[in-house]
Amino acid sequence: MEMLHYDFMQRAFFAGGLIALVASVLGVYLMLRRQAMMADMLSHVSLAGVAGGAYLQLNPSLTGFAIAITGAIAVEYVRRSYKTYSEISTAIIMIGGLSSAVVLMSLNQGMNKSFSSYLFGSIVAVNQTELSLMIAVALIGASFFILFRRPLYQIAFDEETAATNGIPVKWVSLIFSVITGMIAAAAMPIVGVLLVSSLIVLPASLAIRVSSSFTSALYIAMGIGLIGVFSGLTASYELSTPPGGTIAVVLLILLVAGIAVKKLMLKVGKLRSKNSTSKVDNMSTAFPRFTMNSSIQTTGGKENENLV
Amino acid sequence: MLLASMNKVVFGYSDVPCLENATMDIYSGEFVAVTGPNGASKTTLLKLALGLLKPWRGDIYLAKQNQSGKRLVIGYVPQQIAAFNSGFPSTILEFVRSGTYVRRSWLHKLRPSDHAITEMALRQVGMWEHRHKKIGELSGGQKQRICIARALAQLPDLLIMDEPTTGMDQESRVGFYELMHHHVKEHGRTIVMVTHSLKEVQSYLDRIIELEKKEEGGWKCCTTTSCSGHFSPVG
Repeated sequence: MEMLHYDFMQRAFFAGGLIALVASVLGVYLMLRRQAMMADMLSHVSLAGVAGGAYLQLNPSLTGFAIAITGAIAVEYVRRSYKTYSEISTAIIMIGGLSSAVVLMSLNQGMNKSFSSYLFGSIVAVNQTELSLMIAVALIGASFFILFRRPLYQIAFDEETAATNGIPVKWVSLIFSVITGMIAAAAMPIVGVLLVSSLIVLPASLAIRVSSSFTSALYIAMGIGLIGVFSGLTASYELSTPPGGTIAVVLLILLVAGIAVKKLMLKVGKLRSKNSTSKVDNMSTAFPRFTMNSSIQTTGGKENENLV
Repeated sequence: MLLASMNKVVFGYSDVPCLENATMDIYSGEFVAVTGPNGASKTTLLKLALGLLKPWRGDIYLAKQNQSGKRLVIGYVPQQIAAFNSGFPSTILEFVRSGTYVRRSWLHKLRPSDHAITEMALRQVGMWEHRHKKIGELSGGQKQRICIARALAQLPDLLIMDEPTTGMDQESRVGFYELMHHHVKEHGRTIVMVTHSLKEVQSYLDRIIELEKKEEGGWKCCTTTSCSGHFSPVG
């Protein structure tokens, strides 16, 4: 653990761990809302902010952060305009962000070298300002996911049903988009613009496949995110490779291995049930007939209503 | 008590209205079916009543409170909801329990009664024994049943369902109609559902709202038929 003697590595591990936790939870909700590409899009948009900040002699991290949030608000409005084809909003905003970034970068030739650290991430890129920003984002993100866990669950399944339950779907979605922008921008110094989505999407992809419940999917995603970031940063230090790509490769390996183990377990389970005649899945196929004397009425019904 | 009403409502998705002069009233304690041919805007009618769509013209009323003066709780089972998000990584229990959230604040811990209600709803649709299974492992009909269970777990004052018997066999449909009839008569709930199986469900209903094509321009309007011997609005 010699690497942890360095301040920049301590910052990278601390910041990476915090972002991995919130990004993984965010990923689960993004995937369930069919918005997996949103984080990728917002990171590209934030690149325009970085380029703009550099051009205007402002702090690029802060301008990138601000533009990512603006992009998140914009995508929510465009998403409502293209309700049936929500992925169009992602494409439109991504084109806008990336094209602005390219134009602004070409106006500022001297900055091209430092842009590579924004594109691919850098362990030494996490300075004190960015660390403070990441801590703030992690705290805001964690508070949001805890406070809004119930409406987020309902909205993730079906927005219309959630709306009829009195949930202000538009506002919750807007805040969710802003939080997405904040997390994507905060993760950028470590994993880089091009691979921010790996930190958000890959842990969630595996968690959704292997989890036995929604709650466990969130915890598994956080665990995978942490393992991916810590082992990726370690490998990046040892091999002198860009942290973004290394973390993404580790997460991809975890994803492939996890899916393979899951498939193997399913096959073993099938073989076992084939060999065992007693294990028959007698899952009911019919709606139970309801009668006034049925046991359902005595265990539920009005008695329980009075308790509410 | 009037829970929902529409007066001369006009609505369309493009520049041509698909629903014109739609007029209907829903009273508490009624079991109402909405019927009509495919494309007759039945789903649109429900969404307008729920406030999910805004009409071009006309008035829509949806009560804010129930008869006890508490906030009106609305249960909604959209069409084909079971087919949507089939890979949702949730257990049946988690999913149906989310129906009880409507009576609690976002941070309020669920009470034992909420868990009892979840159990009741799951038992009523015959899925309690399978509560730890994931939604993705269920058939279309079973998914439909847990969606109904989630709506029942809300203990709704008004339950609106869009073709809720999709994917159910005939025996299940009868069980479902009996259960809904019980909720109307014993718990005073109001149920509005879109159905194509009018003959099967007619004996349980209080009223039928039919969407028809108008001869002159092909627009649709609502006609209401009272079902014999059942109609007795509460309040």
